[in-house]
Amino acid sequence: MKRYLFLGLIYALALVLPLFIGEFWIHVAVEILILGLFAVSFNMIFGYMGQLSFGHAAYYGVGAYVTGMLMVKASVPLAICLPLSMIGAGICALIIGYFCVRLTGIYFAILTMAFGQLIYYIIFKWYSFTRGDDGLQGIIAPPLLFSVNAYYYFTLFIATAALIVMWYISESPFGYTMRAIRDNADRTRFIGINVRKYMLINFVIAGMFAGLAGALWGPFNRSIAPDLTNWHHSGTPVFMTVIGGPFGFFGPMIGSVIYTFLMAFVTGFTEYWPLIIGLVIIFVVLFVPGGVLGFYESKMKGFRSKASKAEETIP
Amino acid sequence: MDITLLMSQFMSGLSQGMMLFLIASGLSLIFGVMNILNFAHASLWLVGAYFCHSIWFRLQDYGFALWLSIPLAGLVLAGIGWLIEVILIRRVYKRELPEQLLLTYAMVLIIGDVIKISWGVEDRIIVRPPEVSGPVFFFGIPIDSYFIFVILVGVAVAIGLWLFLQKTKYGHIVRAAVFSREMVSALGIPIPRIYTGVFVLGIFIAGTAGAVQAPVGSITLGMDMAVIIQAFCVVVIGGFGSLLGTLVGSIIVGEIYAFSILFWPQGALALIFIVTAIILIVRPWGLFGTPMRV
Repeated sequence: MKRYLFLGLIYALALVLPLFIGEFWIHVAVEILILGLFAVSFNMIFGYMGQLSFGHAAYYGVGAYVTGMLMVKASVPLAICLPLSMIGAGICALIIGYFCVRLTGIYFAILTMAFGQLIYYIIFKWYSFTRGDDGLQGIIAPPLLFSVNAYYYFTLFIATAALIVMWYISESPFGYTMRAIRDNADRTRFIGINVRKYMLINFVIAGMFAGLAGALWGPFNRSIAPDLTNWHHSGTPVFMTVIGGPFGFFGPMIGSVIYTFLMAFVTGFTEYWPLIIGLVIIFVVLFVPGGVLGFYESKMKGFRSKASKAEETIP
Repeated sequence: MDITLLMSQFMSGLSQGMMLFLIASGLSLIFGVMNILNFAHASLWLVGAYFCHSIWFRLQDYGFALWLSIPLAGLVLAGIGWLIEVILIRRVYKRELPEQLLLTYAMVLIIGDVIKISWGVEDRIIVRPPEVSGPVFFFGIPIDSYFIFVILVGVAVAIGLWLFLQKTKYGHIVRAAVFSREMVSALGIPIPRIYTGVFVLGIFIAGTAGAVQAPVGSITLGMDMAVIIQAFCVVVIGGFGSLLGTLVGSIIVGEIYAFSILFWPQGALALIFIVTAIILIVRPWGLFGTPMRV
């Protein structure tokens, strides 16, 4: 109950946020939402399925390109582009995932990365279709969403809807089956569950939501480039998830807030953002395993167990 | 198709393949022994190239400048590798795979910026000494003599590593550690020291390779990013922990690249990823690896 109250408070804060901050920080807030959605979708594979996808930017990029190309070349309305982006990214994830779910561990990471790079090179080199390195410019949001505030509320709405759907999936029997596969794939197979099929379905769902996040990016940034699908960009959700904590549903969102906010702040006075984030990541990996959320929860647990022990000692 | 062109393309592919072998052999050795996939391997390779340029720049009036700079750069990198192992890598031996990957990935970002701070953003060029600047004629076909040098270094390192692993006591320990760390440790051999040694050896080879690469073209920021992915492909194709596999994988990737540039330039890198993906799907342990580790 307390948890829902807390979430409600955060949400109310998100609703009134644009009243208090300047345009630059609203931009940052939109970025936090889009990248947070991307990171939460990544964590469907990482946190709930236990596999590290190092090519998740591919589905984000495909989503961005489906919306971008439909809007620029065919003037399709954004409302229709978003579901099409999800379908496009989902189809990509279905084809790639079909092969990837056969592997686990380091091999899964490298295969997803190889396929991600393949998609990157297709977009990069297929100049006549995707405009290659030049990227796509002039992806203009519809007039209703043209102002930053309007786009912020639009993104907040879409991201909330997507998060609710992902939350229901992760708390459904399907979500618990994924946890079982993560913890012991063999035993899960022995109780009659088709592990590969479940992993593939989960992979496709994660890809679709990454595609949705990508689709939101184009009209926000007004241009897209093949770099969105490159493996460096696949590192972003990994960072966010590790900073925020992979073992809670909202961990990647918290990671997105920290990462994006830090980036907006640091790039204000130095160009050496990679250096800073690299040091932050090394610090988190070495000293805060489990991320911010994990740290918080272990501290709380520590307090609670101390408290309960104290109670026990009282006769 | 003209035989001269094919031959020179073949040699260029072979020299590129050997360069990949120099990087991937250390990557594969480190992964085989320590179970750590070092994302930063090619970044350190690039640092080797920059160090080689810096040393060469101070010595360029002497004829032997390049020949001294290459081993010196390798030694500097071995020292850097030692520091990285002792300060960072050692702390994550017992961690999960994603954390180890992230640590080395964070190193990629940091090293990239450190290079930018230390050497600036301009490209660096090493003027080749006369011994390796002209073509060598091979049955009347001109071949870049520096390619021959790169191939020779690759072959020398391959033979050296093979002799080390097969014929020396330390090599035997390293090979044993690939199969069972617990057993090696139970025999009273200090595992952390073996790990440090393997890591330093891998980075030494990478640093030397970077120095050898430096005079091939210009040294540019971000070169490492494309190379690390190709090195991963090599290791996957050959099989983790297999020296022969890494050699064969390197030559395959080098030649695919060289020939697809000739016939289908847009698809050069895409083809490498397709081959890698097929190998991973059909034989995840690679051409020469052992299935037990999958």
